Amino acid sequence: MLLEQGTTLRALEPCARHSLRAPLRSCLLQDEQFADLADMSLSGDITVEGEITVPVGAPSPDEDFSTLDEPVRETIMRDLKAVGKKFVHVMYPKKSSTLLRDWDLWGPLVLCVSLALMLQGGSADSKEDGGPQFAEVFVIIWFGAVVITLNSKLLGGTISFFQSLCVLGYCVLPLTVAMLVCRLVLLAGAGTISFVVRLLVVLAMFAWSTLASTAFLADSQPPNRKALVVYPIFLFYFVISWMILTFTPQ
Amino acid sequence: RHPLATFFHLFFRGSAIVTYLFCDWFSNSFVACFVTILLLLSFDFWSVKNVTGRLLVGLRWRNQIDEDGKSHWVFEAKEVSTVAASSEVEAQIFWLGLIICPVIWTVFFFSTLFSLKLKWLALVIAGISLQTANLYGYIHCKLGGQKSISRTTSFV
Repeated sequence: MLLEQGTTLRALEPCARHSLRAPLRSCLLQDEQFADLADMSLSGDITVEGEITVPVGAPSPDEDFSTLDEPVRETIMRDLKAVGKKFVHVMYPKKSSTLLRDWDLWGPLVLCVSLALMLQGGSADSKEDGGPQFAEVFVIIWFGAVVITLNSKLLGGTISFFQSLCVLGYCVLPLTVAMLVCRLVLLAGAGTISFVVRLLVVLAMFAWSTLASTAFLADSQPPNRKALVVYPIFLFYFVISWMILTFTPQ
Repeated sequence: RHPLATFFHLFFRGSAIVTYLFCDWFSNSFVACFVTILLLLSFDFWSVKNVTGRLLVGLRWRNQIDEDGKSHWVFEAKEVSTVAASSEVEAQIFWLGLIICPVIWTVFFFSTLFSLKLKWLALVIAGISLQTANLYGYIHCKLGGQKSISRTTSFV
């Protein structure tokens, strides 16, 4: 686009803060619909006056200041809705990058606590109250998730640390459901049939967990590294499934 | 000006510490104590990060992921031209609570380690990391240092 006296104006930055008084044709260079306009050269003289302020880097803090002043109830509701949306997304996994952008670790915490509670020894004696096993489940889940995340970062993944923890934690949901089903089945009896039922349920949920987390995480890797990233996830959920399957109440 | 926020700022942290110290009086079950303290620590982390920081001292820090998938740590500080006397007190309470509690949890860490009550170690480590994260975030906001983000945060 040519202006008077042969100056060429190139607008490469988003035009959120232009204080240019001239027509905003420079902004429209960004928009593909108006790509044709950008090629037009103007026959007449157009005088352009004013300043261009071009923002560099992060989005302007003005629009984010609203979160500094919002009421508390709104903050709570916003976070709760985000957690709920993620739970739904795990049950119906679709590749969605917007989901990953607002990570939070509340879901993994709740799932971890409920899984650990259900995996407890269940003995009435207060001395042997399953303390070490409870902390063990916590350590396995969180340490395992951290190790997988480090592995994927070291392999050059683009996903951030907490996003990966978030996904891995949320994808424990199917296995938590499997644990619930197993406990209910075990109430009915501990014979061969119940074992077969439990095995099938755990296998199905393990496959679901692994597929759900792979759907989110494998995309962030270069194609020849996908298997290297998927197999630790496989192992992680395998260990959890093993703990669920071999659980027998005292 | 925000008595409720000040109360909650200290309430969750204080009750987590008190529960840890006196859990044997309340309940025989390790699991109940563990879950209670963990929930208190989580509520404390969330409320200090999202509510009390911005209400008491006008600071906020968070993580934002843009379209490329890169994560930015954003540290915001409110421009405050005049500081009223009551909010001075609140700010002091805020910073005192923020600094003293991680120190206390670090003391618990060493006492747990040396008395070999290792089943509590996971909880103490969780407590230290959550509270130190808030401390670090708010100190960064206070110093206004978006340029001086260290290597670890850019890795994360």
